[in-house]
Amino acid sequence: MTTQYLANTHLTPAILNALADGELRAAQLDAAQLHLATCPQCTSAALAQTMLKTATAKAGHRYTVPEHLQSRLLHQIRQEPAQSSPRSVSKSAYSFGLGAFSAWTAAVATLLICVGVLFIQHTAQRASTASNEYAALSTEAVDQHIATLAADAPPQVLSSDRHTVKPWFQGKLPFSFNLPENLPPDTTLAGANLTYFHNQPAALLLYSIGRHRVSVFVRQRTGAEASPEPLTEHAGFHVTGFTTTELDVVAVSDVDPARLTSLANLIEQVQAK
Amino acid sequence: MTLLTWKRPAPENVQTSTFEDLAMPLAPSLYNVACWLSRNPSDAEDLVQETYLKALRGFPAFEPGTNFKAWIFRILRNTYLTSRTGLAAQRTIPLEDDLGELEATIDHQTPEMHLLRLSDQAALHAAMEKLSPPLLEVILLCDVEELKYKEIATVLDVPIGTVMSRIARARAALRETLQTWEARA
Repeated sequence: MTTQYLANTHLTPAILNALADGELRAAQLDAAQLHLATCPQCTSAALAQTMLKTATAKAGHRYTVPEHLQSRLLHQIRQEPAQSSPRSVSKSAYSFGLGAFSAWTAAVATLLICVGVLFIQHTAQRASTASNEYAALSTEAVDQHIATLAADAPPQVLSSDRHTVKPWFQGKLPFSFNLPENLPPDTTLAGANLTYFHNQPAALLLYSIGRHRVSVFVRQRTGAEASPEPLTEHAGFHVTGFTTTELDVVAVSDVDPARLTSLANLIEQVQAK
Repeated sequence: MTLLTWKRPAPENVQTSTFEDLAMPLAPSLYNVACWLSRNPSDAEDLVQETYLKALRGFPAFEPGTNFKAWIFRILRNTYLTSRTGLAAQRTIPLEDDLGELEATIDHQTPEMHLLRLSDQAALHAAMEKLSPPLLEVILLCDVEELKYKEIATVLDVPIGTVMSRIARARAALRETLQTWEARA
C-alpha cells in the first residue's frame, strides 16, 4: 500500500489497528498522520481504537498467579541443578583447617557425610522429577488418545497386518520396533499413525480390544525419560508402559486394566527378538 | 587444589539458573493467559506447570539471544491446543481469516461514548470471554502481553497477515458486543 494512497483515502481497520499497535512503518505512519490531520472521521476511529486497546490491556490483566504455583514451578526448576551440583558442600568442607592431618581427616569425614546427604537428596529429587515427568507424559498420551478418538479419522496406515504396519514407518522414524504376531482373542491391530510425542517423532499404534480403542505410543529412548509406572489412571483412562534399552512405550485405553497390561506385555516381549 | 574446582559452577547449572532467570518473571503472564484460555484456574495451573516442564527440557535447544517470551508462549499455546479444553475449543468455532466484511464495522461513535463504555471492567471481561479462542489469544498476546505482530506470528505459527486480520476481527467483535449491550441497557 503506497503512502500516497494512505494519505488520500480513509484508513482501513488493518491500518487503524497497526497504528494503535505501533506497527506502521515510518513512511506509512507519516501518510496516516497526514490523512488524520484532515479527516475527523478517521481521527475519531483511531482514537477509539487506541482507547479499546488500552481498555483490553487493563481488563486482560485479570488473574493473579497463586503463590503455591510459583513455589512449585521454582521447585521444579531447581530440582535440575541439584542432580549435578555439589556446590552446596564446598564452603563448609573447604573451611576446615588445612595444616594438620586431623583437620584433613575431619574434612574428609565431613565430605563423606555431605556426599551421603547429597546422594540421598539427589535420589529423592530424581524420583520426584521422574514422577512429574511421567505425569506430564501420561497427560499428553491421554490427550492424544482423546484427540484420536474425537477425530475418528482412518489411520494413516490402515491395516491389521503387522508386516504392512511396521514397514510403513521405514524412513519416517529413526528407529524400528517389533509388533506381536499372535494377539489375544478380541484384540486387533487397526493401523498406525506417525505422531509427535513429547517433542519426539513416535509411532502411534492403534489397537482395538473388543469395542475399546487402545493407543500405543512408541518412541526412541534417549536415556533421560522417566520410567513408566506399571499402571496409573488419568482422567478415567488407564495408562501403562515399559522401556527397553532402545524404546519408550506408553499405552492408553479405557479397557479393563488387565487386558491393557496384557497387550503391553505382549508388545514388550517381542521387542527382545 | 582440587577442592577449588567445586567453586566453579558446572555448565548445566549456568544454563538452568538462566532458565530460572528468564522463565520465572513470566509466570504471572503465562498463568494469566492460561486462565483466560482454559477458563479454569485448576486447568490453568496444570497448563503452566506442563509448559515449564516442557520448556525446561527443551531449553538446551533454545537459541540464546532470541525471544524467550515468544518461545515459551508458543510452548504454552501448543500445550493448550493438545489439552482437553484446547481440543474442545478447536472443534467448536471455524475461523475466517479475511477482512472483507470488517470494512463496515469501523466505529464512528464519539470518543466520550467509548470512554464511558470501556470504563466498565465487568462488561469488558464478559466481552473478552465471548471471543472465540483464536481471537482471544491474539488480543491477549497483542494488548496484554504487548508482543509485536512478528512475535505473535511466531507464537501462533501463522503469517503476519493472519495476525493482523485476527486482531481486526477481534476488536470489531469486542466493539460490536459492547455496543449491543449498551444499546440494550
